This record gives sequence, structure tokens and C-alpha cells, in this order.
Amino acid sequence: MSEVVLHRIGKTFGDTVAVEDLSLTIRDGEFVVLLGPTGAGKTTSLRLIAGLERPDCGRVTIAGRDVGRQSPAERDVAFVFQQYSLYPHLSVYDNLAFPLRSPARRLNSDEIDRRVREVARMVRIEHKLQSRSTRLSGGEMQRVAIGRALVRRPAIYLMDEPLSSLDAKLRAELRLELKRIQKELGSTLLYVTHDQVEAMTMADRIGILSEGRLVQIGTPREIYADPANLHVAARLGQPHINLLPTDLLPGAAPPSGASAIGARTEHLEIATDAQGNAEVDWIEHLGDQNHLHIRVRGHKLVTLADPYLSIKPGDRINLTLRQPLYFGSDGERLR
Amino acid sequence: MTDAPSTIAERSADMLARATPTTIAVRVRGLSDRAIAWLFITPTIALLLAINIFPLIWAVYLSFTNFRANRPNAEVEGVGLRNYQRVLNDPDIWIAMQTTAHFVFWTILLQMIIGFALAYLIDRKFRGHAFWTTVILIPMMLSPAVVGNFWRFLYQPQIGLFNYIVSFFTGIPPSSFEMLGSVTLAPWAIIIVDTWMWAPYVMLICLAGLRSIPDYIYEAAEVDRASAWRQFWSITVPMALPFIMLAVLFRGIENFKMFDMVMLLTGGGPGSTTEVASITLKREAFESWLTGRSSAFAIILFVAVFGLANIYVKALNKVKQR
Ligand SMILES: Nc1ncnc2c1ncn2[C@@H]1O[C@H](COP(=O)(O)OP(=O)(O)OP(=O)(O)O)[C@@H](O)[C@H]1O
Ligand SMILES: [Mg+2]
Repeated sequence: MSEVVLHRIGKTFGDTVAVEDLSLTIRDGEFVVLLGPTGAGKTTSLRLIAGLERPDCGRVTIAGRDVGRQSPAERDVAFVFQQYSLYPHLSVYDNLAFPLRSPARRLNSDEIDRRVREVARMVRIEHKLQSRSTRLSGGEMQRVAIGRALVRRPAIYLMDEPLSSLDAKLRAELRLELKRIQKELGSTLLYVTHDQVEAMTMADRIGILSEGRLVQIGTPREIYADPANLHVAARLGQPHINLLPTDLLPGAAPPSGASAIGARTEHLEIATDAQGNAEVDWIEHLGDQNHLHIRVRGHKLVTLADPYLSIKPGDRINLTLRQPLYFGSDGERLR
Repeated sequence: MTDAPSTIAERSADMLARATPTTIAVRVRGLSDRAIAWLFITPTIALLLAINIFPLIWAVYLSFTNFRANRPNAEVEGVGLRNYQRVLNDPDIWIAMQTTAHFVFWTILLQMIIGFALAYLIDRKFRGHAFWTTVILIPMMLSPAVVGNFWRFLYQPQIGLFNYIVSFFTGIPPSSFEMLGSVTLAPWAIIIVDTWMWAPYVMLICLAGLRSIPDYIYEAAEVDRASAWRQFWSITVPMALPFIMLAVLFRGIENFKMFDMVMLLTGGGPGSTTEVASITLKREAFESWLTGRSSAFAIILFVAVFGLANIYVKALNKVKQR
């Protein structure tokens, strides 16, 4: 297990800048999640660390050694690919055993068998060990792909959206499982996703990528409560952060230069009031909570509401801000 | 935004349907789909029957008679299974079958090794690989008659380039051996030409197989620390295997029937050292004029190839399903 450092990495494909000036340190035993929209350069970043792609500039070090000239095999990383990439002519068992059968590892077959079965249990695939990997569902393939990484004890695990094709229940389970395994083994893990829930629940630190640049990195709490700019604020929070003019609602104390207010649920106080400044448009019932769609003088807001709050569409309410976020005209956060 | 084109497409399809003259619509409506389908395939079926099926059935009929094509007016008598007995008891025919098997084995082995190796090199996608692919494919595109004459020339002991090159590398004087005239060398002369001509074909099929293996499989293996040797044996070969087997099947069937090249190069000689089954067949049919007997031989060959090919295809399907 070891620290991985990216120092000012850049990578372009023709005219496309995939990664630009990326510096990132993944500490020993840390679980870092890279969060970003599609095309942000997440996959490219992982491939650069794995050595499947050569950076145009910058340096990658794993455990202190510069791996710039090393092949993927020499770097000792495990990779879960976005497109599963199982060995199609092999059974699930042989897929899981493949990395262990490397002659460099010198494991005997009992040890391999033990590890394969242990990992198969972790990713819930032990009932399909003898199946051919082409006969699996998408979710099963993805679990085998995760398992094939987990059988190893590499310097760092690199995972590219490994839970994206699982159903919600299994995803939630494996999320916990993965976090548990990582903690137990104390392994270093860089995980890529565009799902904010995965990022918030698993990460020790979240890095927000946008157009090849690392915009902000910090603990989930920091990223959520203290976003560096509008882009970061917009990536986290369900429902999305509301952007409002500074003079729309009472309770704001905008610093000079502020051009917009960002208000999430926790920044909005709701009081039923027939003379209130806002009107309820409609209510989405999600079961344990409600999404309240509100209109204030032509501006629309969405916020979470207690399902037992007795309001219905058409009712008037009073909205007050409570320590919202302020942004300048360039989208940077003002404090 | 995404609905817009589909609505436009739907609307234009609708407009087209309205614009179609009703007369055509009615006339087409007069025929059922089934009738139209038959209309289209009837010429093909008729042609197939006339050119393939009828001669086959006719040959089956002749194989049970004493018909001789050089005496069309003689009375034709049924002889039962006598032709088949004679063929199967003829030692010459068994020798020809052995010669054929020898050819098939060596040509396939060499063509597979060379074809796969070429495909493997071309698949490295070095600079100019498209150009070299085209160059390599040239022999396959030539007519066998051209190739046969061309190689007869190359094999000339006095002026042939082949003998000259061999002597250059080995020091054996070029006119001291005759590729086509020597009992030991003639079979190899034919094997070399056939391999020269058809290894490119095998390469093409193998290349299709290699190209069908996605890059990310190799990337995964690379990360899993599989050596190049292990990647080759545990990924490249098993995943290209169905294609390799297909190439073996095609070449096997072709070479079982190999005729033109042998005819042009040696005519079956010297002696009968290169007399493959198809040459024997031609001799029986058009030199001895034993039409009935040669028909029986042809049917036996056909059944043998057909049976072997079927067993082989079963195996191929099993490999593909793995
Ligand atoms: N091999 C390549 N050749 C050309 N362009 C590429 C290549 N790989 C990536 N790119 C480009 O680089 C940019 C970043 O791609 P990347 O695959 O890293 O995105 P991503 O964040 O993983 O997106 P997604 O969430 O869709 O997987 C994209 O604009 C993409 O088109
Ligand atoms: Mg990606």
C-alpha cells in the first residue's frame, strides 16, 4: 500500500484536452473519489495512473518511485474498467484467478482457490463461479470485474464507475461492502463516478473534475458545505442547489460583488403564511420526503420538505434565507 | 429536441405513403408477400437445380451403371454396387487418397503457421501495414493457371529463380536438383506453391479474428501482469481460434479437391508421386472412360468430404459456444 502522486499532469488527444494541469495526492490507505460529468477526463486520469496512457507532461509517482517509464504490469495497480472487459472465453472462476496465476506471484493453487472464493463471496457471485463470463448479466459482469481487482493486493485500486450498471439495491449494498473492504485492508483506492451519492458515502476525499481540471478537492463535508464555485455547488445536493438573484428573498447578507445566491434545502426556512412571499406550485411525493416546487416572483425553487407538512399546491408560504452561499459574476464563491 | 427528427421522419414517411400511385399499390396488393418471395427466388432455384443438383443426381445414377462417355450409343446396364466395390478395392485409389491426405496435412499446417504469423505481424499496426496487406494478398488474387506456369518457370533447374535462391543459401549447385522432376521433391514443390498462393487467404481470415479481439482485453491483461507470452496463449489464440478453425475448414475442403495446380505443375508425376485423388478421378473418367466407375469414386469423395466437414463444423460450433 502506498501513496500515489500526480504532479501537473496534462494529456490531449488531437484537439481535445482530456486532462489539464492535474495535481493530486492519494495518501496511503485513502479512498478518493473523482466526481465529474461525462467527458470530464475521469477515465483518462485513471488510465494515466495505470500506465495505459502516457501523459504529455507531468509526473506520476507511486510509493515514491517515478513510474513514468514503467509498463502497467510494473506499476502494480488493479483496474476495474468501465466496460467490464472480462476474458470472454474464461469462466468466472478463471477470470477471478487470472491475475493470481501470474508467474511473478508464485501462488500455489490452494491459495488461489481460497482467494477466488473469498472474493466471489464479497461481490456476491459465488453461485456463478463455473459460468462462462459471456453468459452473465451486465451487473454480474461488473461484479466479476470488481472481484478480479479485489483478488489482488496492489499499490492502488483504480475503479472506473464500477457500480454504474447495478440496480439501486445492489448498488447500495456493494457501496457499503466496497467501503468496508477498503477500510479492512487499508488499501489505497481511486474511484471514479458521476454519482454524487457514491461520492458522498464512500469517499475520504472527493475531487471534483470539470473539463479536465481538478476544481476542488476535500472531504465530502467540505465539498458539500463549502464549495469553491458554482460548478462544485451544482454537482452536489439533491434536489439541485437553487440559484437566485441577491434581492429575491429576505435573510440574505450578500457581500459586495455578489451576483447570485445559492440556496439548498438547509438554507431555506419555510413558514405557512397566507400573506407569504412564495406560492407552492406542486409537490412531488418521493415516499420518505417531498420535493416542494415553489415560485417566488417568477423564479422557481425546489426544496425538500417534511412529508407531514400540511401544505398543498396553491398555498402561500413565507420563505426566508438562512446563511446561503454567495457567488460572484464569474461563478466563484464569495465568503 | 430528440423528438423532432423522428416526427419529421414519421411525417415524411406518411407523405410518401400518400403520394404512392394507387395503381402500383393495388397491383402489389394483388400478390401476397409469399408469392412475391417465390417470384424472386425461383430463378435462383432453377439455376441451382440445373447446374448443381441435376448433375449430382445424374452422377449418382451413373455410378450404378456401366456407362462409358466415349460410347454414348452402347446399351447402359445397371451394375448395382459393383463400381463402388471396385473403387474401394483398387490399391491405386488408396495410394492417391494417401497422397491427398499428405498434401492436405502439410499445406494446411504450413498455411496456418505462415498465415497466422503474417496476420499477427500485420495486426501490430506498424506504419504502412495497409500497403503490406495488399502486397501479401496478391498471390491469392492470381489465377491458378498463371501461378502454375509462373512457378514452373521459377522451378526451372537451369534458369529458375527458385533453384538459384536455394543454391545461394545452401551452396548446392542450382542445376543439380529438379523440383518438379524428382520423386522426393515434386510433392514439396506443389506444397510450396499452394502455400505461397493460399497463406494470404488464411492470413486474411486470421486477421479478421485478431481484429475482433477488443483492445481493452489486452489492457486488462496487461494490468493483471500477464506477460506477452501468456497474453498470446490465453487471449489471442483462444479468441481467434474459431477463425483459425474456419480457415482450416475452407482450406481443407479446397485442398482435398486440389486439381489445377497439380495438373499444371506435374500432371501427377513423376510416376504417380503427386497423383492426388482428383487427378486419378480425371484419369478414370477421361482417359480410361470408365464413366460409371469414376462417378462412384466422385460420390465416395463427396461423401467423405461432406462427412468430415460436418464433424468438423460441429467441433467448430462447440469452440464458438465456449
Ligand atoms: N483515445 C482517445 N482518443 C481521442 N479522444 C479521447 C480518447 N480518450 C478520451 N478522449 C477524449 O477525452 C475527453 C475525456 O474523456 P474521458 O474518457 O476521460 O471522460 P470521462 O470523464 O471518463 O467520461 P465518462 O463519464 O463518459 O466515462 C473526452 O472529450 C474524450 O472524447
Ligand atoms: Mg469514463
